[in-house]
Amino acid sequence: MKTIDLELEIWRQKDTITAGQFENYTLKSISTDMSFLEMLDVLNEKLTREGKEPVAFDHDCREGICGTCGAVVNGIAHGPEPGTTLCQLHMRHFASGDTLVIEPFRSRAFPVRKDLMVDRSALDRIIQAGGYVSVNTGGTPDGNSTPIPSATAELAMDAAACIGCGACVASCPNGAAMLFTGAKISQLCLLPQGQPERRERALAMVTTMDSEGFGNCTNERECEAVCPKGISISNIARMNREFVKASFLG
Amino acid sequence: MWFVNFLKSSIGKKSIMAGTGLCLFLFLCSHAAGNATLFSSVSLFQAYADQLHSHPLIVSVFSTGLFLVFAVHATTGTLLFFQNRKARPQGYRVKTRAIKTPWASMTMIYSGLFILLFALIHTAAVSFGDHGRIGETIATLFSSFFYSSFYIFSFLVLALHLSHGFWSMLQTMGANHPRYTLLIHRLTYIVPAFFLILFTSIPLLFFFGTGR
Ligand code: FES
Repeated sequence: MKTIDLELEIWRQKDTITAGQFENYTLKSISTDMSFLEMLDVLNEKLTREGKEPVAFDHDCREGICGTCGAVVNGIAHGPEPGTTLCQLHMRHFASGDTLVIEPFRSRAFPVRKDLMVDRSALDRIIQAGGYVSVNTGGTPDGNSTPIPSATAELAMDAAACIGCGACVASCPNGAAMLFTGAKISQLCLLPQGQPERRERALAMVTTMDSEGFGNCTNERECEAVCPKGISISNIARMNREFVKASFLG
Repeated sequence: MWFVNFLKSSIGKKSIMAGTGLCLFLFLCSHAAGNATLFSSVSLFQAYADQLHSHPLIVSVFSTGLFLVFAVHATTGTLLFFQNRKARPQGYRVKTRAIKTPWASMTMIYSGLFILLFALIHTAAVSFGDHGRIGETIATLFSSFFYSSFYIFSFLVLALHLSHGFWSMLQTMGANHPRYTLLIHRLTYIVPAFFLILFTSIPLLFFFGTGR
């Protein structure tokens, strides 16, 4: 089994109001088969044995589908591997002797709760503002009664791949949440089921996004580069069109 | 009210940047066309300037409009810069970018403010001079090493600004479609290069004494 030794510099912060600082740790003999979070588990076991406070970090599925995990590793959200969540980033991508600086996702809209854990409920409030979709009640409709061109279905599916991890916000030099909001607006506005509330949804979601304290997008493309699900900024362009149409045409 | 809300929103502000950016781009095209007469002769350029100034109404409407567009573009850009800095009160210790060429987008505020400075100096030196002798004014200015270098440097900065600005304008306007991706990608290089070559070759022409 191949192993590596690592130097870690991790952001430690007791709670939202207390100021945080970096602390240094050394880890020896980390298997390259481990995931990044398993490496942090090893660190936490060591800290617990030493009677110290373990590093708090968010995680749930550990298979790259839930969007709970995330931290900035050496300046890149979810670490250096493209198209990967932190839980799916493996230690084989690092070399022995590497120093890893691990910081929480930073944004005015994402207050740090503890260490690497941030409160991303601002993203949930954007989703909530999107409201509902109208569905006809009655008998079960025939499966093929709503034709959707395959290309459109693919685009909607690509947008729906967003797991809401917030890496787009963390990586954006402006702390903007436009890739997330663009994807969420796109996945519904592309499909026939999303049409009745299309305009009000675009207005409400963008208004909430602005009021949550995210920055303004200036087309930096960082979000697209770090997105673990490869969400394209064409979703932002679509959101721009949707919002302009909704604003001007009501 | 809805219009004010639109303008105040994040997408509204980027639309202002794109809309005024488009106006400035169109102005640059017309300015480039005017300057192109200098490739022929200073007297042709003078004739073009005389013709333009024989329609004072058009000139005043366009110059006031241009001034307003410039002011809105610069003010909104500066406002965005300061608002966005506040969106991340605590920065990262390691500042790495995931994309390979972030220089143009990172420096938009600085390149923009430099272009504003250039525009002020340039209008003070040329536009507020004697229009009847504008050809001569230009020939004199461009034979100065200092002014020519400043002019050329300014257009290098403008090319940098446009290399993000032009693409960014299209993206904001919602023009992002696989069919046009390649074209837009090429234009991102062609547009700044076109203006850079056209505008900087004129002072070079004068400086090396080949301008007439
Ligand atoms: S823990 Fe679920 S995506 Fe990483």
